[in-house]
Amino acid sequence: MEQGNKAPRTAPSPPEKCTDPYLRCAFNGAAQTALGVSGSALLAHSPQGCEYLVNNAFTSQECDYMETVTLCTKLCVDEIVHGGEDLLARTIREAKELPISALFVLSACGPEIVGDDINAVCETLQPEVKFRLVPIECAGFRGSQYDGIDIALDTILKRLVQGSGKKIPDSVCLIAPHANANPTWTADLAWVKQVLTRLGIRIVATLTHRTPLSEIERAASAETSLLLSHDAGQKAADYLSDAYGIEQICRGIPLPIGMTNTQRWLTALGERFDVLSTAEDMVAEGERMVTATCRRKWPMARFLYRTPAAIIADATIGIPLVRFVTEEMEMTPELIALYTSQRPVRELLEQELKSLNLSPRIAYGTDVYRTRSSLLEVQPRVVFGSTIERHAARGLPVAYIVEVVRLMRLFRMINREYFGYTGILNLFECVQNEWIIGWRSKERRYEAKW
Amino acid sequence: MPVTENDSIVFHGDLRQLLGKVESGEMIPKLQASHAPMCKFFTAYYVISGIRHVVPLVHGPTGCPLYMSDFVRTRECCEIRGIPLEPTACTALDESHVIYGGEGKLLEAVKEAYFKYHPDLIVILSCCCSGIIGDDVESVAREAEKVVGCRVLALRSEGFGGDFRSGYEDAFRLIMDVMEPPEKTMKRTINILGARWGPPPTEFSWDMDEIERLLALVGIQVNAIIAGGCTVEQIKHAREVELNASWCYDWGQKLGDLMQERFGIPYSRTGQPYGPAATKEWLLGVATPLGMEAEALTVIEREMREIEPDLAYLRQALSGKTAIIEISEFPGPIRALSLARMASEFGAHPVVINVHPYTIKERMPSIRFLLESGVNPEIILTQGLFRLGSFRSSKETEEELEAIVQEYDDAIFFGNSGRFPPCPVVNLTLMNPAFQPQYGFVGIKNIAALVRQALENKDLPRSRLFRGMLYGTR
Repeated sequence: MEQGNKAPRTAPSPPEKCTDPYLRCAFNGAAQTALGVSGSALLAHSPQGCEYLVNNAFTSQECDYMETVTLCTKLCVDEIVHGGEDLLARTIREAKELPISALFVLSACGPEIVGDDINAVCETLQPEVKFRLVPIECAGFRGSQYDGIDIALDTILKRLVQGSGKKIPDSVCLIAPHANANPTWTADLAWVKQVLTRLGIRIVATLTHRTPLSEIERAASAETSLLLSHDAGQKAADYLSDAYGIEQICRGIPLPIGMTNTQRWLTALGERFDVLSTAEDMVAEGERMVTATCRRKWPMARFLYRTPAAIIADATIGIPLVRFVTEEMEMTPELIALYTSQRPVRELLEQELKSLNLSPRIAYGTDVYRTRSSLLEVQPRVVFGSTIERHAARGLPVAYIVEVVRLMRLFRMINREYFGYTGILNLFECVQNEWIIGWRSKERRYEAKW
Repeated sequence: MPVTENDSIVFHGDLRQLLGKVESGEMIPKLQASHAPMCKFFTAYYVISGIRHVVPLVHGPTGCPLYMSDFVRTRECCEIRGIPLEPTACTALDESHVIYGGEGKLLEAVKEAYFKYHPDLIVILSCCCSGIIGDDVESVAREAEKVVGCRVLALRSEGFGGDFRSGYEDAFRLIMDVMEPPEKTMKRTINILGARWGPPPTEFSWDMDEIERLLALVGIQVNAIIAGGCTVEQIKHAREVELNASWCYDWGQKLGDLMQERFGIPYSRTGQPYGPAATKEWLLGVATPLGMEAEALTVIEREMREIEPDLAYLRQALSGKTAIIEISEFPGPIRALSLARMASEFGAHPVVINVHPYTIKERMPSIRFLLESGVNPEIILTQGLFRLGSFRSSKETEEELEAIVQEYDDAIFFGNSGRFPPCPVVNLTLMNPAFQPQYGFVGIKNIAALVRQALENKDLPRSRLFRGMLYGTR
């Protein structure tokens, strides 16, 4: 990899007072995390509108409505004026017959501002109910959905993990798989689990997706942690390290999207767990499979050689895509706009850009307005992004909008990973379909006779 | 009335009796956690976003506008209805604003919104945070209006501040502030009131298309569909029309009454145009005050002639049947009650299932209007409606529905295909564009086609797969 000296052009961040955000609030992120615990229910201590943020989280975690119940205290003016603790207590009592192992009680902006003490209410009611009450103070104003994931993970780890117990050799705790803008991120998680199984690494807990409470309780027995997001979960990894000596692995390496990233990631795992030859076999097999498949299917991405491209996504997908788009697809990223702007995100992206000798325009913590302005300025021909960019780019000379995150238009019945080798093919397929749509005739030159 | 109140039947009577029980507080759901419709903020946003080139500026954290951005603006407007991507602007309040107040940021945000989006109107929408901390959004709006080149209004729309209906009504009331004193009268011109859900005309544009088609045939112009894609200019001239009408009595009623009271513009009080009688009423309700009764009657006569085979079929198909109409799954209680009237018109006996008492409470004026118009169908409420949680109860209501249907002879179910009662199912979902609109004369043709499908295919097997998906496997 060539080391270059070009400096990336980071767009100055104006002090924006009026923003059109991509990210939801902390309440939503916390709900996503809580709903990843199986055999539980969620009670939103909030006005009824916040229930819609829970519904969104419900969909994101692919909950089954036959199994998972979500409840809401539906706060009104009375509770804002006089406090909603009594109503919360009443609602918990209403739910006491639910066959669950935990009830997560999430507080929204209103009750937190007026000072409802959900911790005290849960503590008082705990003896009355058979399930664990887990209060999470996650008002929307506490930050973005990623902050909400961190808040919820913090609460869950501190309240539910049982510290004692031996370390399980060659084991791992997976963190924040759901902080990933792949609309079917559960496939990324499934790929990771499959890889770990093949490498003989035992998964002690997944924080969180269909995770039984008992798994969380045992999380401290993991030898290592593996963070599956560049946007959230680092605080949880740090906590597990500090509290239980759990070593974080694959840190500072982009997630496994594309051949090089996947190779690096698998190699790092192989080295850590002393299964390097198995990891190398997986790399060789995977690369053979991808190459052979491409030879048979002929991805049209090859015609987009050095086409100026933009990547507008979360850091989890966006940062690894930079190398994939540059190396495997041979396009040139000229605009990278990420939803987040934390220092680790900046460092990782800048490390990748330096390694690739790229100097695109960068927008950290972008919103829809900044994205459109940046597209207008850079004028890329291909955009890897979401349905929002498809519409935000109207009137601009963008030939292809490859929707890889936050899909609203396209539908996937089968979950598709971006991680790993099949992930490469899935991303090629996204490009191919967009290419086909781009070429489809919009008009007919004449009418058929029959 | 073969069904009696028991463990699974909570109420069995008629609409008037149900209204009485709701008014006396007898039928208020006791479980706090059951049934959560949208909050006031959402519904206020729906209405405001229906004005073209408006910036709805949400004064709150990012969670509140995001649902609107994804669902209303991007998916509904851009993907389905050909609307350009419009901003969902937000002040993104954080913890420090909650402590120190966000008015300063809001003022700057209004200026920034004007600079970025060049709107015709900015509406500040407060939500829970800004409402509780007491940010004076009205004063900020007045201050901001002095420094930007468009009107700036403020709407107190805190989610906790009222039910979903109050959001609609307060937003419609606010829109009246944009209306300017009339310079002239626009002859033979009306406003259509009560639309919402973003710049497209209304939730489902087909019904509005049918209304506009009929009005055009009579020779009546529409100034503005408020607020369904209307411009600020059209709102400014809204007081110059001769009459206001509504695409749905329920949603238009408040604004219609207010405009009549404040500006003296008459409001045509008619129900939804479902079926021949209601469609005639609707059209004459508009045409007669405009002095265009004769033209309207000519159009009605011609349209009725064209659909005579469908009318005959519906009379033959529905006569003597029991029409079981489910409200909780069918889109909206008022539509279901309108359908009950239509079923009755064709000789069926309507029985409406599961109109939630909450829904009755929120729609008192409309329900009273329907009763005054003679719509008083038999109503059954089941226990599933009141159960804890919003999803599990669906399985129970399905089982309860199946049991109820078996109690009636010659039943036909009007609802959607997500139900599996042991009788023909008329799939009236608004999610299938193949048989839209349901309003007006074209609507009668479509409903006739749906009834035909239901009756002619009643013996075909239903999907085990979809049933298992919705209610679990037995």
